[in-house]
Amino acid sequence: MKTNADHSSASDEQLVKAAKDGDMAAFEELVARHRDKIYARAFSMMRNEDEALDLSQEAWVKSWQRLKQFQGDSSFGTWMTRIVINLCLDQLRKRKRQRTESIEEMSEETGGVERQMPVVITNPTEGLERIELRKRIDKAMEQLSHEHRTVLMLHEFEEMEYKEIAKTMNCSIGTVMSRLFYARRKMAALLVNLKTEDVK
Amino acid sequence: MINQELQLKLQAYLDGELMPSEEAQVKDLIESDAEASALCIELQSVKAALTGADLEIKLPETREFFWSKIQREIERQSAAQAAPAHKPSWVEWVRGHLMPVSGVALVLGVMGIMALHSSSSAAQFGEMELASDNMGAYTFRDQQEGMTMVWFYNRDDSQFTADSSLASVDHQ
Repeated sequence: MKTNADHSSASDEQLVKAAKDGDMAAFEELVARHRDKIYARAFSMMRNEDEALDLSQEAWVKSWQRLKQFQGDSSFGTWMTRIVINLCLDQLRKRKRQRTESIEEMSEETGGVERQMPVVITNPTEGLERIELRKRIDKAMEQLSHEHRTVLMLHEFEEMEYKEIAKTMNCSIGTVMSRLFYARRKMAALLVNLKTEDVK
Repeated sequence: MINQELQLKLQAYLDGELMPSEEAQVKDLIESDAEASALCIELQSVKAALTGADLEIKLPETREFFWSKIQREIERQSAAQAAPAHKPSWVEWVRGHLMPVSGVALVLGVMGIMALHSSSSAAQFGEMELASDNMGAYTFRDQQEGMTMVWFYNRDDSQFTADSSLASVDHQ
């Protein structure tokens, strides 16, 4: 029988293989390795600690059930991240269906204001330490709608192509391009504002 | 001001998603149009700022506690799937028993209403339709009280289906 020590030195591929054969200790090691990343992704989408915890837990349960479907085309971490992203998107869609959209939200979706915004000339992140930059970006991300935040995150952090994002978000490539454009423009404006606030 | 289509093309160029045939057009635009050039710099700076700036947060639960919740849920779901196939649910029970009876009750209700509004004799509703082939019925008519009683039973599990039981029933 394999011990925890054996599992901790095994590769993800070996652990997946063992877990597919029903070895729960191997699966536990996979959870331990990737749990922070999966939680962070859920949190970055939901912006709520409890929801992020619940959804990341659900993602792990789902991955155990679907493990046989994992063929190893991508890394295990990437596969898991896709599962949690899809769960978060489902949750956000449900939430959206439940609330009445405000005019402001509709305008944000179509990007009414950002298109006319003046171009940001100075680089708003120039000279910032990495930690400070992360904080500002996180603060700015929080102010984006979930559609804009998600599209930015999928493109910049998950490095998905337009086509892949469209499939994940269940929308057209045109919508992805449009959302990404407005998300970046708004992000630029928010980062400038955050810099200005600091100066005051 | 460059139009929306060009704005999106500019972005696609920066993301490496533009068709090769359109690349030259966008390159020319960036070089010749100050606004396009400024927009290009802005988009690039946001892109650069976001690179590697993903949230780095840790799950606020211990490894053991988080795993114990996952394990419990996996075991709960496995147990639910492996549970013996049939103890019927209440929905199935209602479908199997009460729905045929309620169908018959509906038919009788209609017949009753018709009887109340009719001056004709009780013999007129001697015919009765049952909503299910599995249902059986016995009737008793009390002429003195002007009342008809009907017993319904399930042919599959009723004691009335046994021959001995049938023999003991005094048909009226």
